[in-house]
Amino acid sequence: MSATATADAPVRAAAPQQPRRPGARRRADIAAGYTFLSPWLLGFVLLTAGPMLASLYLAFTDYDLFRPPTWIGLENFTQMFSDARYLKSAQVTALYVFVGTPVKLAAALAVAMLLNMKFSGQGGYRSAFYVPSLVGASVSVAIVWKAMFIDDGVVDRVQQSVGAPAGGWVGNPDMTMPMMILLAVWQFGAPMVIFLAGLKQIPAELYEAASVDGAGPLRKFWNITLPMLSPVLFFNLLLETIHSFQVFASAFIISGGTGGPADSTNFYTLYLYTRGFVQFDMGYASAMAWVLVLVVGVITAMMFRTSRAWVHYSGEEN
Amino acid sequence: MRIERRAVAGRPARRTAAGIAVVSTAALALTACSGGNASGGGAGFADELDPEEEISLSLAWWGDDDRANKYEEAVALFEEQNPNIEVDTNWIAFDDYWPARNTEAASGSLPDVLQMDLSYLRQYGGTGQLADLSEAIDTNLDTSGFDEQLLAAGAIDGAQYGIPTSTNTLALFYNADVLDEIGVEPPAEGYTWEDYAAFVEEVEQAGSGEDPAIYGSGDYTTTFWFFCQWLIQQGTEPFTEDGELGFTEAEMTEFLELGSDARDAGIFFPIEKTKQIEPLGGFTVSEAASEMSWDNFLAGYVAETEQDIRMLPMPSGADGPRMFWKPSMLLSASANTEHPAAAAALIDFLVNAPEVGTIFGTSKGNPAVAAQRDAMEVEPGSIDEQVVSFEEEVADLVTEPAPIPVEGFGAIEAEYKRLGEELQYGNVTVDEFVTQWFAFAESNVGQS
Repeated sequence: MSATATADAPVRAAAPQQPRRPGARRRADIAAGYTFLSPWLLGFVLLTAGPMLASLYLAFTDYDLFRPPTWIGLENFTQMFSDARYLKSAQVTALYVFVGTPVKLAAALAVAMLLNMKFSGQGGYRSAFYVPSLVGASVSVAIVWKAMFIDDGVVDRVQQSVGAPAGGWVGNPDMTMPMMILLAVWQFGAPMVIFLAGLKQIPAELYEAASVDGAGPLRKFWNITLPMLSPVLFFNLLLETIHSFQVFASAFIISGGTGGPADSTNFYTLYLYTRGFVQFDMGYASAMAWVLVLVVGVITAMMFRTSRAWVHYSGEEN
Repeated sequence: MRIERRAVAGRPARRTAAGIAVVSTAALALTACSGGNASGGGAGFADELDPEEEISLSLAWWGDDDRANKYEEAVALFEEQNPNIEVDTNWIAFDDYWPARNTEAASGSLPDVLQMDLSYLRQYGGTGQLADLSEAIDTNLDTSGFDEQLLAAGAIDGAQYGIPTSTNTLALFYNADVLDEIGVEPPAEGYTWEDYAAFVEEVEQAGSGEDPAIYGSGDYTTTFWFFCQWLIQQGTEPFTEDGELGFTEAEMTEFLELGSDARDAGIFFPIEKTKQIEPLGGFTVSEAASEMSWDNFLAGYVAETEQDIRMLPMPSGADGPRMFWKPSMLLSASANTEHPAAAAALIDFLVNAPEVGTIFGTSKGNPAVAAQRDAMEVEPGSIDEQVVSFEEEVADLVTEPAPIPVEGFGAIEAEYKRLGEELQYGNVTVDEFVTQWFAFAESNVGQS
């Protein structure tokens, strides 16, 4: 959008002073530019901006997909506060985001540090640890995951062998959230690779100098690794948080689309889907989508704010 | 649209609001506004089918591989007989079928012919998505072979939105092998809901020592169709002619309380286990001795359990063992179809052609038209034969018309199931269940 303004302005300003032909050529350039831009522009308007504006409008309407929408103002938004299932879904999602994300990042960092050490066959290990993330989002993994955690599944047998109470996690509303978080944590490959790249950037001299000064591994981690890694950590935290808010596929598969048992995996996006496409409440679903956009926006802004205090960029004087 | 824009423009933040309205109207015009208008052009359902015109029809259904093969076979036959018509087929599982159709309906691009469920008939028919096929009757669509009451199940306010392909009715399935093993007799003929509850308890006691334990049944009071069946036996029509609920909170409470004792005592097949083995059920893994369901599920049960599965009529209520035929599936035509005559002809072929009866057997239920029933190759002792003979046996008990589906039936049925889970987990009481369900139904039934 801003490109339009800057490209346009000089033409208008220059037109009267310059002879005709260069102006015409400039215009031809612009036309060519737009022609080449048009596939993207068309896609953006029709597939992104258009639907977003439509959903913003629908958020203020009662729309059942079959009849034209009717304007109801803020009713969809006020209804959320008295909707027990909505509140539960927000709670479930918050738990998943605020517990799952830090655990996942900790796991990613720990493994990245292990893989950063020098030993033979390292390449093989790196690929092996990355594989779960490659297949992670797929339907088949969610199905396998469910099979692992059902009654008499792998996890249940391990529990039985150590004498822990058995019975499977899938059917127990108290155990489904830990199961979902474990599934998320297990897919730590993407942040791990980014961490690994970040670790490689830390100059070895820093560690050497610290060793000379007599610092132990913990002190090195706390005073060198973490500060040097903080931009990468910030990037990962931001990305993973936003990503966690959007959890859908795994919960959809494991609960068979219901968010069960007893709504314990009824994540925000899953409930949004149910309202929109199962209960024909597209207005409410649109309102929910915009609330999610707002919440993620606010949390992202807050992260950027606080990042000034703990993210250190090299070359920065603080 | 125009009305809304005017209403918005009257607000204080006039320019922005109007701007949003204009833009979103334009965006909506791409999707929503194109829906709802009836098919243009001169062609109608009663017009003669032109054998010269090259026609392409789309056909969608839900089901599994087996059904897909059968449909493909039937469609190939239809194309053979109508060389100018090409049928594009599209199928998907039941749960995913409706979101896909809903999206298409919103953009006015439903398939020309689609498989329809009674639960969704009013949703689609009542909102102008489906064609009224009554015009086509006697020209491109022959309904003379239909039972009138069955045909009426596909009509709303006199408009024929769906043609039933087949019928089914509720049955009590029991696993004779499992009952033999634990030494419990199946319920006797003429048994009541109370007798059935006693049977469930007896099985649980006899089967608790087995490994894994054998239960009598899952919590059957948490399935909406069984509630409908029970209501009819109490002399209550579940839904009124004009699409309202025909039952009271007290009636729902009474039905749910039929299971209270067993629920409290932990006699039903546990919900924790049910959730884990989904999409299978306690009955399909042979750990529950009985289950109520639609009679055309027999083939699936036998395939899953590989055991001796038999059927009984549903338990009797206060008004006796009154049952109903439900069209197990219907075929509908989109209101926007460009080829009404051809769409009607395809439906006609699928419901009437004897060859189609041979292809499908009882896999969709008992074929609605005698010509197709007679064409089935029913071997003695086969599953088809069991379904057919069950329906013949219960024919005298079937005295009621199928409940008229209300708009939003799919949603209230799903909510009943969801609350049923909460009830089984002990998260809600029967009273809370009923209050919450009615609150949900109020905002989801026949919303205008």
